[in-house]
Amino acid sequence: MSNTQQAWSARVPEPLASERVELKARKVSFAWEETPLHWIPDDPFATHTINVLHLLLPAGERWFVHVYKQILPYIKDEQLRADVIGFIGQEAMHSQAHDEVLPHLREQGLDPTPYTAQVDWFFEKLLGDRTLPPGKARKWWLLERIALIAAIEHYTAFLGDWVLNAEELDRRGADPTMLDLLRWHGAEEVEHRSVAFELFMHLDGSYKRRVRTWGLAFTALVFLWQRGTRFFMENDPTLDDGRASFKEFFDRGRQGVLPTAGAMARSIPRYLARAYHPSQEGSTEQAVAYLASSPAALAAEAREKGAA
Amino acid sequence: MPGFRTVLAVTGAALLVRRAVRRRMGHAPLWPMPALDTPISGRPRGRAQLLTVAGRTVVADGVVRLRLEPRAGAELPPWEPGAHLDLVLPSGAVRQYSLCGDPADRSAYTVATRLIEDGRGGSREVHEQLAEGTGIEVRGPRNRFPLVSSHAYVFVAGGIGITPILPMLRAAQAAGAEWRLVYAGRTRASMPFLDEVERIGGAGRVTVLAEDETGRPDPAALFDGIPPAAAVYCCGPEGLMDAVAAALPTGSTLHLERFTPAAATEGNAPFELELRRSRTTVTVAADETALTAVRRELPDIAYSCAQGFCGTCQQRVVAGEVEHRDELLTDEERRDSMLICVSRARGGKLTLDL
Repeated sequence: MSNTQQAWSARVPEPLASERVELKARKVSFAWEETPLHWIPDDPFATHTINVLHLLLPAGERWFVHVYKQILPYIKDEQLRADVIGFIGQEAMHSQAHDEVLPHLREQGLDPTPYTAQVDWFFEKLLGDRTLPPGKARKWWLLERIALIAAIEHYTAFLGDWVLNAEELDRRGADPTMLDLLRWHGAEEVEHRSVAFELFMHLDGSYKRRVRTWGLAFTALVFLWQRGTRFFMENDPTLDDGRASFKEFFDRGRQGVLPTAGAMARSIPRYLARAYHPSQEGSTEQAVAYLASSPAALAAEAREKGAA
Repeated sequence: MPGFRTVLAVTGAALLVRRAVRRRMGHAPLWPMPALDTPISGRPRGRAQLLTVAGRTVVADGVVRLRLEPRAGAELPPWEPGAHLDLVLPSGAVRQYSLCGDPADRSAYTVATRLIEDGRGGSREVHEQLAEGTGIEVRGPRNRFPLVSSHAYVFVAGGIGITPILPMLRAAQAAGAEWRLVYAGRTRASMPFLDEVERIGGAGRVTVLAEDETGRPDPAALFDGIPPAAAVYCCGPEGLMDAVAAALPTGSTLHLERFTPAAATEGNAPFELELRRSRTTVTVAADETALTAVRRELPDIAYSCAQGFCGTCQQRVVAGEVEHRDELLTDEERRDSMLICVSRARGGKLTLDL
């Protein structure tokens, strides 16, 4: 870890020990036949805004796994190593689970392939392993991606915490299978929210890099997300003139079916604070409690017992 | 402070750029990001499907046949003879059953299971809990017992082992191939699909050996007078398959389908694992996994779930035959890769690209 920053700043990232939990992948499975196209009833905009997750996560989380597999030899801390190994399996399952939603969208007349093929390019090519000389350059590119993942994980933890608490979705009668997918995923994101950041601090921890990669990750997320929502709205076969607008986004935030713009804005300075540590926000207890009642997670547990 | 003209020029330029971008995106909404030529996302390896038990028939002593249908009007993914389905039973346990219906019928999957009194409980659940109208989650189909193209086939089925063979008989018959079937069982009453088998084969092709009538089959006689270089397909109890393997005529190829549970931990054999790029060989003991053995040599190897579902430990296989025990990889991937956390060597040796 870089000590330079500790030397001139008394405020250093302090993990909360109570928020630590052992990480393991769960073999979940979701059947999508019963899920309607607009799984938040009568709200295509909110449905599609959340659906963008299915566009970004299969390729994105596959990329996390790809990068993390390469970083294992550099980890000198056994506890962190165990966390990273648990993290990899959870991310691999997230990627698989969201990927299985895509054929279901296609069957309902909303083919996501033109968009996901671009997201594939983004993660496989633009952010993939580049032809670099071994040594410094290659290590730099690896660290840069580790820092990007830490920044993205700040947002996945934010969204995970949001969806675990988004009671308005239940009140609107959102599809239970989709809610379980989102909350199982959200709960695991909250469970492992410290891993990416701790890994980044362990390997590098440079504050300049944290800020730079946050800027990149945030810009990319906003760009890809609004583009994804527009893509879905314009191609939804049931909408005559589907459009997405920021005004609708703010409205849904106020109603509680999407995160509010204010909460998102407030999360920015938190990540950029020198004393930030992901364990300071979100609740592991809540995440673990959800996983103890999630139909998919319970089925996964039964499956594990059944196989033994 | 910038002058009025500068502000005007910058604003004007920005508006022009915005209009140009909008116009461009009007033609191609996803401009300007490139796309991957062969997309990866949106083609998941497997998909869970919720089916309904639409029919439940007792087809022999202790054997039920289930007809599993999707919701009205939907079409099921296609399959080929030899394929099996993963059933997620009410307890959460996953069991694999061969498809024994007609591949051309896309409106239902058919499986048949024998109740095994002292089994692990999967067959008991199928028999007792899957009543008509019950919903059941399935994954697949997948095929690790595919029917290769051949001029002649010999099928050997033992009891419930007839299930993967049944669609093969129809396919062989339809293809006009030379084939014969030896169908062994304890009693005629305990052997499912006897009528159907005899109907497909007519006289001459099918030999039924019921132990209570003719005693145990003589393996040496199984291959009397078969055409040279026939493809031999066998599914049944271990003893039968061993006997068939021992009596196999030279020139014939043997294809076996085992009832082995996906995650069997008993009866494992040790094997050699060559790590080609590391230029070393490790021995995998009977009571450990390939992953454990590899980690002794390469401690930084990536893995996670250690149970064969997350896919992190997938490695390329350079040589050797693999006994796949995962629930993840596609048939395609299984041709040249394996999950080293659960799968093992079928022969005594495997070579990995590690």
